[in-house]
Amino acid sequence: MPLPKKVKKNISLTEPEILFSRRKELLEKIQKDGTYLPKSILHSDLDGGFLDFVKEDLKLVVEGKKVPTVDILITTQNWAQFTQTWTFQNEDKNIEPPFITVVRIPEVKYGTNPSTLYTIPNRRQYFYAQVPTWDGTRAGMDIYKIPQPVPVDITYQVKIVCNRMRELNDFNKIIIEKFSSKQAYTNIKGHYIPIVMGNINDESVMDLEKRKYYIQSYEFTLLGFLIDENEFTVSPAITRALTVLEFDSGKIKRNPKSFEINETTNLDVLFLNGITLISQFFDYKTNLNVGTTKNIESYDIFINNEYYGSDISEIQINTNDILKIIITKQDNTKESKMELISKLI
Amino acid sequence: MSNNKVPITRLGKFFGDQDFNLDISIGEEWLYGDMNFNLVLYRVDRKKTKTDNVYGETVKDGIKFLPPVEFKGFVQILAPENKNLGTNSKLNQVEPGNLKVAVYQKQLDELDVDINFGDYIGYYESETRVRYYTVTNDGRVISDNKHNYAGIRPYYRSIIASAVVDNEFRGL
Repeated sequence: MPLPKKVKKNISLTEPEILFSRRKELLEKIQKDGTYLPKSILHSDLDGGFLDFVKEDLKLVVEGKKVPTVDILITTQNWAQFTQTWTFQNEDKNIEPPFITVVRIPEVKYGTNPSTLYTIPNRRQYFYAQVPTWDGTRAGMDIYKIPQPVPVDITYQVKIVCNRMRELNDFNKIIIEKFSSKQAYTNIKGHYIPIVMGNINDESVMDLEKRKYYIQSYEFTLLGFLIDENEFTVSPAITRALTVLEFDSGKIKRNPKSFEINETTNLDVLFLNGITLISQFFDYKTNLNVGTTKNIESYDIFINNEYYGSDISEIQINTNDILKIIITKQDNTKESKMELISKLI
Repeated sequence: MSNNKVPITRLGKFFGDQDFNLDISIGEEWLYGDMNFNLVLYRVDRKKTKTDNVYGETVKDGIKFLPPVEFKGFVQILAPENKNLGTNSKLNQVEPGNLKVAVYQKQLDELDVDINFGDYIGYYESETRVRYYTVTNDGRVISDNKHNYAGIRPYYRSIIASAVVDNEFRGL
């Protein structure tokens, strides 16, 4: 009796990485066993990666026996096929069904991989890594730059050649389950590359007086990209900085800045209702000018209790003087106000 | 077909049973004595062979055979075809040509065997190499003029068989 789907048959002892740490893990995988730069991915790598995907991920076992896969992409060279030492060839050197073979459509089109669809023109180089260097005397850095990968779409036809319907069924089941989400991924030199499923065609040979066999062709498009290591650039970064400061020895004449200084301060002297005398001690030297007055008929000025004058407009005050003002109000029921404009000397 | 026997009396003035039998015996002498093409017929035992219920295909090791029978016939092997397997597979195959065997009906009657679609025929191409074929046309319908001798009655069958791969049949 099969286990319910929710029961895990294999439990990983380590937590899988997610988010940033997963991206870091992917980058480490790309750089594994090599330089700091990613490994070149060209057409032959993509083809080899797809063949591996067919061999490993679309592996078909019928009645306990693995259905062999033609492990090369047959090209136009007539002898290429017959140099192989497949165990599933007969005395006529013909391959005996059942077997699986992969055909690559020769033309490779510009890619539709969404991650590399938008490009910057002119193959601009982008910063990829900063690698420390040491030349024996000085530490430095190398700047590794690579251009944007070029997207390519490669179409493959995976064909199963067999004599029995159940072999077709089993292979179809594997593919339909693998591509239930329309696409699957293969890992080529550390890069995960999507494969999208296309049409399924029947090319079975059903001639009445010939050998009959089934051929079913599954079309797949590999949304790959090309990275050519010949386009990588490694350039030395700055290892030592020399700072030079230069001064102009000539004198520059500048006009003095002019500031408007307000030399006067207004003092408002308030005589509340019933008050006609006010005295004030000054600890500085100033000239007081009498400004506007309000409700004042006349006033007498005393400095240090000595009469100074009546209704005068300017009063000279020395340090430590006591100024006394006695007013005569026009209306005794109201308060009076006198404005004194002080100018420091 | 009717089980009643009706004597064939056509062409009686010019060509009777005796002439027919004479000519057939001359042909047999030529075929068995001079030509002497030996073949082995492996008949599929359709009762004991195990097949699946849906497709009727044989299950693994499910195909059973009746005892092989050696017979003689006039053998023609067509030229092999050099072609790709299927369409656009790019796998180049030189497919062996079909086997055409003309066999006297009288011989089959004497051996009490019949040749059916799907039976296998072994033919020794050389002392060490035997190639097996599966019957794709058992030549059962022999009502045409070609298979009638002088319009008296049919007398031989044309069997067409195509080569099988080793993992289908390698003899018993």
